[in-house]
Order: sequence, then C-alpha cells, then structure tokens
Amino acid sequence: MKHGGYTKFSLQNLLGPLALLTVATYFLNGASTSLQLITQFALCYFVMVLALQVFVGNSGVLSFGHGSFALLGSYVSGMLTAPVHIKGHALALNQLWSFLVPLQVNIYVAMALSALISGAVAALTGILLMRLNGLAAGIATFALLGVTYNIFFNNKQIGPGSQALPAVPTITNTYILLLIAALSLVCVYFFNISRIGRTILATREDAMAAPALGVSIFKVRLIAFSISGVLAGLAGSMYVHVAGTFQVQDYYLDFTFMTLSMLIVGGSASIWGALVGTVLITGVGQILLMMEQNLPVFGLHITIPLGSRAVIIAVTFVAMLLWRSSGITNGREFSLDFLKKLSKKN
Amino acid sequence: MIQSILDAISLGGLYALAALGLGLVFGVMRLVNFAHGELITIAAYMLVVTVNLPLIISLLLTVLVTAAVAFLMELTIYRRLRGVNPAIMLIASFGLSTVLQRVYELIFGALPKSAVVAPFLNGAFKFAGLSITISSVITIVLTVVILLAMGYLVEKTSLGLQLRAAAADFRTARLLGVRSNRLISAAFVLSGVLATCVAFILVVENPEVNPYYGVNITILALVGIVIGGISSLRGAALGGFVVGVILSALNTLLGNGRVYAYSWLFLLVLIILLVRPGGFLSKGSELERV
Repeated sequence: MKHGGYTKFSLQNLLGPLALLTVATYFLNGASTSLQLITQFALCYFVMVLALQVFVGNSGVLSFGHGSFALLGSYVSGMLTAPVHIKGHALALNQLWSFLVPLQVNIYVAMALSALISGAVAALTGILLMRLNGLAAGIATFALLGVTYNIFFNNKQIGPGSQALPAVPTITNTYILLLIAALSLVCVYFFNISRIGRTILATREDAMAAPALGVSIFKVRLIAFSISGVLAGLAGSMYVHVAGTFQVQDYYLDFTFMTLSMLIVGGSASIWGALVGTVLITGVGQILLMMEQNLPVFGLHITIPLGSRAVIIAVTFVAMLLWRSSGITNGREFSLDFLKKLSKKN
Repeated sequence: MIQSILDAISLGGLYALAALGLGLVFGVMRLVNFAHGELITIAAYMLVVTVNLPLIISLLLTVLVTAAVAFLMELTIYRRLRGVNPAIMLIASFGLSTVLQRVYELIFGALPKSAVVAPFLNGAFKFAGLSITISSVITIVLTVVILLAMGYLVEKTSLGLQLRAAAADFRTARLLGVRSNRLISAAFVLSGVLATCVAFILVVENPEVNPYYGVNITILALVGIVIGGISSLRGAALGGFVVGVILSALNTLLGNGRVYAYSWLFLLVLIILLVRPGGFLSKGSELERV
C-alpha cells in the first residue's frame, strides 16, 4: 500500500463516487423487487466498507473487530425500535431484562444513537487496542469480535441470544438509505483530506518518520478507529432496518471477511476503491446467483451448476489478489485525468 | 481431577502442534496461513474416507495427500504473493481457505462425514482407582513424540538450521545461501504433515468431519502463536499449548458459565498482548518486523 490517498480537495474525487453510487442505486432499485432488496443491503455494506476504509485503508492496520461495532449498532437500533409487545412476548426474548422491554424511540433517533454508542465503544476499546501494531493488532481486534459475539450469542438477558429478534421496523425507501450512504461518503472524504486524515496516511507510509515529525501514531489511529466505529455502528443499524430482524450470526466471520474483501478487492486506500469493491462483489455475486437459478443475465442464458457460485466468487477473489494486490483501483481516487492524456495523444 | 489435568495437557499439546504448523510457515515467509485449517480438514476427510484400509496405509495416504495440498497451495498461490504486504497475504489466505471449504463441500457434501478411526483409542482404563481415557494419554504421548521429533529436526538438522535462520532473518539467510524456494516448499510440506497429526488426534475424538472442521482450531492456534511470540518456533508451540490449557481449564472451572469460556480466553489474550505485544517469549516491546 505504498501509493494511493490524496491530500488536496478535488471535486472529481468526491463527485465521481457520489455519481456512481446514485446512478447504480437508481437503476438497480427500479429493476425488480429482489434487486431492490439487494441494492438496499449493498448500501448497508457500502457504509460498512467505508468504515473499514477510514481505519484499515488509511492506517494500514488490519481490523477484524469492526463486526463488533456493526453488531452493537444493529442491536441497539433493533432493541430500541422493535414493538414493545414483541419484546415482551416473543419466545426468543423470554429471559430479557425487564427494563429493556418498554424502551422505544423513533427509528432515526435509534440509528443516531446506535452510531454514537458504537463510536463510544470503539473509542474506549481503541484506547487499549491502538497501542498495538501489525499482527498483534489484527489478533487483538479479532479477540474483540470473539468476545462480543460470544457474549451476545449466549446471553439471553440482553438480547435474543442465538435466536432472532423479529419485527424490527424496516426502511423501505431505498433513497433514504442512499442519502445516509452518500452523507457518510462525503463525511469520510472530508475527514480523509483533513489535517488528521493526512497525518494518518503519513503514519501508514512510514511508521518511523511520522513520529519523528511529532505525530502521535496512537492518537491519530484512535481518532480514525472511533470514527470508523461510528460508521460501522450506522451500517449495522441500517442493516437491521433492511433485514427486519436482528441476529447475532449476521455480524460474525462471514460478514467480517465479506466486507474486508470488498475493501481490498476495490483498493483499500481510497473511497473510490471502497465503492468499486462493494459494487463489484455484490454485482458478481448477484449475477452468479441468477446464473445458478437459470435466469437470464443481460438477455443471455448461461447456467452454472448449483453450488458453484461460492467457489467462483472465492476463486475470483484470490485471483484478483494475485493479479493486483492493491486492489482494482490501485488505491487511487476517481479521476478523469486519463481523458486528458487521451486527448493529448490524439 | 487427574483426568481434567490430562485433558488440559492433551488439548494444549494438540494446539501446540497446530500452532507449530502455522509458525513454520510464518517463519519462512511472514505469512499467517489461515488455510492451514483446510489442511487439517482434508487430512480428517482422508482419514475418514480411507477408514476401511489398514490404519498405517490410511495414515500414509493421508500424509501424502495433505502434504501435496500444502505444497500446491504454496506453488500456485503464495509463491506469487511473496513480498506483498502481510495484511494482504493474510486476507488472501482467508480467501484460499474459503475456496477450499467450498471445494470440500462440492466433493464431500455439506453434511458431516463420519467413521470410527482407530477404535482402540476410545475407552478408558483404571489407574490407581481413577478412570482415565485412553485418547487423552495417547494424545499426550503422540504430541510429545512429535514435538521431540520436530525439536530434533529444527535443532539438529541442516533443514532445521535453515528454517531457524530464515525465521530470524529471511534476507540474510538467502544471502548466506539458503535456497528460498526449496526451503519454503519444505516448510509447507512439514506444516502439512503436522496438520495430519492434528487431524488424526481430532478425528479420534470427534469423527464428524464437515467442510469447516479445521477452522476453529486454526483460529485458536493463531491466537496462540501471536501471544507466544511469532518470531520463534518455540514461542509458537508454547503459545498454542498455553491457549489449549487455558481453554481446557476454563471449561472445567466455569461450570455452567462455560459458554463464556471464549470471552475469558480472548480477554486474557488481549491482556497478554497489551503487556507483551511481541508475545511472552519476546524481550520487552521490540517493534515487530511485519
């Protein structure tokens, strides 16, 4: 990850991803009901991948722990909005602490709260975790995920345990989700080009030179980790309001690797990479699913054997890393400069 | 009580073997090979599939196949990723692990396959009035034998010297004439052999083999090598052992709270990492070379 990243404001860097996000959402949303749902989930994933970009992409430190913040965000949002009679009577929730039952807030208040709470937890855990480097940091963040999952999976007093919390109100309007995702993108962009954002890039590029110039690696990483905790919490909250149920298993290993893959396939050093990765992995997965079900893809009937989809996705992912280890975008931001080069040649 | 201690030691030994397999590969190419778990899985599948053959032939076949998968893994994937950022290599190994899980699912089916491997190892015997399971004793004996053999290999042979040199400083080792391709292949093959040993012990106790069979132990062994100190093979094995013993002890001590054993284990791991980021065999907090 020696290149990528940017330091100056450039309108095309910001508008390029926004345009792709909006156009892709617009076309897919209208296509069919099932594609609409896929689009909605993809928007949740995108916010999660943005969260990872802020920390993993900018600092170069791998984190497997962001699933905990998504889980927490999803839990808070789900518990605060699920109907009181469900929380009081569902069989999965019969051991719930009674003070949790009557809690009820507006869906958007719940989203904001879950983002804030996740961010606060990220900041607190970050105080400990951000002291570590390299592989130790990776394992420590994994340990965080392990603890969170283990507690939420087994404790039936705080939530549904291994079962599902049903009847969480859903956001059916895709454009509300798009708005949240777009706002997150703009925030991340301005954070990345801010003074602190550039400082984090400096620590990623040279962990010796940055401290020598007076940068506290711990401090800048902690800030990035907290912000990415806020976004991960928001992503979890969006997810629960799309899925309509809260389930602990949704935020464990598969979720972690899927979102990390999206970031790395796209190119972890840029927002453009985060978006391209999310679109690509969601898109390829969906196209292969349609092929498995013998549905036409762009008017073509290509059928692949049932069950081969997962193999193809995984093989593509590995091949992609072999071909271009810093991601499809090479960690660069969206830019139209190549057009200038083309016109000069002509 | 004696049984609990024996169980703890045998689980620790098992994790030490798994951690050693990971540590060998990490030493030579700074790669945390998450797909090591899939080597354990294929070995377990092989043992179950060849259960009707005489045990020794079944074992030989299993070692061959597993070592071949490990060798091919390096040749086709990891060789092309050398020198890439370790975080990317780790993610690639997760990808490879998924690929292999899916392939196993296609070949062997998603439902668990099971067979009684080495039935004479099941059961218990009486010793000084205590009932002790045979498998725990066999596991300990087997682990000790393998660890001694590995110790001999690493400390006394030329290959071992090269492995240690590479683990300490790969570039200097190359400059001094260690042939990197051959050494890295050898490390992978050895890790395949160790995976077979782990799979054998696992299958005797739990013969229900599914495509995710090796994942759990690999995660714990990974935790083990990091807290033990990843830059030395001894640290890796010791770390794995400690994780196994702690987990076993937690399971005994926590009683009904044993569902939270993982939480306590991971908390302990966090504490160890915060106190000694380089693992407990490291000297203070030197910067990791990764």
